[in-house]
Amino acid sequence: MTRLHRHGLGALGALAFLALWEISARFVWRDAQVLPSPTQAIAAAAHYLTAGELAAHIGISLSRIVGGFTLGAAAGIALGVASGWYAWLGRIVRPIVDLLRPIPPLAWIPIAIVWFGLGEPSKWFVIFLGAFFPIFTNAYRGMASIPPVLLRAARTMDVDGARLLFKVAIPAAMPDVATGLRVGFGLSFGTLVAAELIAADRGMGYLVMQSRQLGELGVAVFGVLLIGVVSLASDAALGAGLRRLMGRRSGH
Amino acid sequence: MMRRWRDVLYPVVVIGVILAAWQAGSELGWLRRVQFPPPSQLVQTLYQLVQEGYPEGIRLWAHLGITVERILLGYFAAIAIAIPLGLAIGWFRTLDHLTEPVIAFCRSVATLSLLPLAIVWFGTGEASKIFLIGYGCFWVMLSNVIAAVKLVDPVLIRAARTMDTDRLRLFTRVALPAALPRMFAGARVALGVGFMVIVGAEMIGTIHGLGALIMEARTFYRTDITMVGMFVIGALGFAIAVGLRRLEMRLLPWQDREAGRSQ
Amino acid sequence: MKTVESALHKIQVVDVTKRFDADALGLPPVLDRITLDVAENEFLVLLGRSGCGKTTLLNIIAGLERASSGSVRVDAAAVSRPGGGKGMVFQQGALFPWLTAQQNVEFAARNRGVPAAERRALAQELLALVGLAGAEAKYPFELSGGMQQRVAIARALALDPHILLMDEPFGALDELTRIEMQNELLRVWAARRKTVVFVTHSISEALVLADRIVVLAPRPGRIVLERRIDLPRPRRRTDARLLALYDDIWGALQ
Repeated sequence: MTRLHRHGLGALGALAFLALWEISARFVWRDAQVLPSPTQAIAAAAHYLTAGELAAHIGISLSRIVGGFTLGAAAGIALGVASGWYAWLGRIVRPIVDLLRPIPPLAWIPIAIVWFGLGEPSKWFVIFLGAFFPIFTNAYRGMASIPPVLLRAARTMDVDGARLLFKVAIPAAMPDVATGLRVGFGLSFGTLVAAELIAADRGMGYLVMQSRQLGELGVAVFGVLLIGVVSLASDAALGAGLRRLMGRRSGH
Repeated sequence: MMRRWRDVLYPVVVIGVILAAWQAGSELGWLRRVQFPPPSQLVQTLYQLVQEGYPEGIRLWAHLGITVERILLGYFAAIAIAIPLGLAIGWFRTLDHLTEPVIAFCRSVATLSLLPLAIVWFGTGEASKIFLIGYGCFWVMLSNVIAAVKLVDPVLIRAARTMDTDRLRLFTRVALPAALPRMFAGARVALGVGFMVIVGAEMIGTIHGLGALIMEARTFYRTDITMVGMFVIGALGFAIAVGLRRLEMRLLPWQDREAGRSQ
Repeated sequence: MKTVESALHKIQVVDVTKRFDADALGLPPVLDRITLDVAENEFLVLLGRSGCGKTTLLNIIAGLERASSGSVRVDAAAVSRPGGGKGMVFQQGALFPWLTAQQNVEFAARNRGVPAAERRALAQELLALVGLAGAEAKYPFELSGGMQQRVAIARALALDPHILLMDEPFGALDELTRIEMQNELLRVWAARRKTVVFVTHSISEALVLADRIVVLAPRPGRIVLERRIDLPRPRRRTDARLLALYDDIWGALQ
């Protein structure tokens, strides 16, 4: 089965899905307030929002995720690598992380509001948490599963200390780190949307919530689709970026 | 023997030191009670929640029970459908190619964004929450089951074919058992997703359930309840994960310990 | 090229050529007009470097792959699919990890609907034959590499196959275990005589096991040497005649 055949089938499946939805929504349910069709959803959005408003919502959502994710990734990688490399640090950090990890990032929303108020920082914090835990875990695991023979070989070539860490250990752990980044991004994104649904006044999640209050289901469906598209696009961008950075080793 | 003791001791010491520092910080006035209720307060609050309940006398066990019930209903409904569907899609390549983009898209839809739609369709009661959990769990489990079938070691299939195994038995007697370990891993991930969805779903428009508990508490500045609630949620998540691992080890005794630890 | 003069050719490979789609342009074929006969109960070894096509040839005989042109016959019937009495032992990882050793050996019989008591007896007999009496209830992960391959051999024999195809079955084992397994295989083969086609890249392994060695060279995959080993078994690995043959074959592989 050739690549073209495979992608062709995929496109066919996607089109069939959309067509099925459109037809069943228009002719079976026939109530745009119960199940809007894709075209009705887009029309509703076009009616209620200007392009500028839409861009603003998307923009604020993206800024939140970029901010929170970057912080979470930086902290996760730095702490994960360090904890994996320096056993004493690992012994201190790991119990704390293991204790806090089972708490879903969303559950931190109320306490984040208490600590940081209702503005942007509380959103960034929750998204930060969504990214931090999987990235830390993967970075740590990546460091822990470096084949010892690599380190031994480097030591016989007089590479030690900080150079060993940066020139051998970290590159060896990169595939795991890359996996962690992708998982963390997905989690961050989900956390972002939920946080915007629960406690925000701007953003894509807020848009969906607001449409419910407006009683305009079409906009809600549009929002859902929009979130899905942005999510896929940004994940693809991340994957491409990782591939560029790491070449064929990235495993993505 | 010594190493075992050290592995237990270190985490306990670390957590103990942090708790002690936290308590001291609160008593010395460095940490404000509203933002960082001290551990001593949290223990009292826990007792209160168990005995008297919050809000309006809903006890902690009740919250816990409702949350667990919602998760289980949504979760089992989801995997009951996802498993047979996933097996079929994973086994028949054409079906897999047809559905791949649709599944990828539906999986990337943020589940909680469907909340307003769920309320329109199912009302504000239990059904909408169970639907959301089911939705989130379903797509994750489906993807994992499909991958589990597709990643069956081809050597096993080839070996079975040299032993005159017909197509049906190739599926039931070889592919299916070979896929079980990954399916279990997928079931664990799906449950984690369900857990996260319910916590979020309970934060909107309800006072029953752990998510509702911590949200309500914040509105009335009961940060101590919020913190206790968070830890209970964490403990629940942990118990679920451990429980599933134990179940997996019981049901799949042939799993090599090392390989099974990959998740 | 001499072919074995025998009334019954168990396996006939005629003019088999194999090309992969990926290398349509310019690259020589993986197998180029291979013609080969294997007599009944003969132990034939296909010897060559990695990538010389010997595993591909074995897979074609097994029916797991199709030749691009040419034909293969087993018992005068054309080969079109796997199974049907063509037992196979793979290099590693082919035991079903969720079944015990006994259940693995019983697999084919269970598919055929053989009653439980009968298949259990058969499995126990075969496991005893390969030296694993007492290990019936173990899972593959609890067995060493050598023991796993013994189970694989027992499992292939459980079909009562017409031919036995073995794809570097001892390649993943350490040297000492490999020697032990070679001796065990000869012992089992003496008890259950079958036509065997055995693939390896080890000259010494070929010399110890084979009635006849066929040496293949890669791209284009072709036969470059054929030697009959008329020495009685068990053969001493340090026998002067074997060592002379070793040099002979080594020369052909250059």
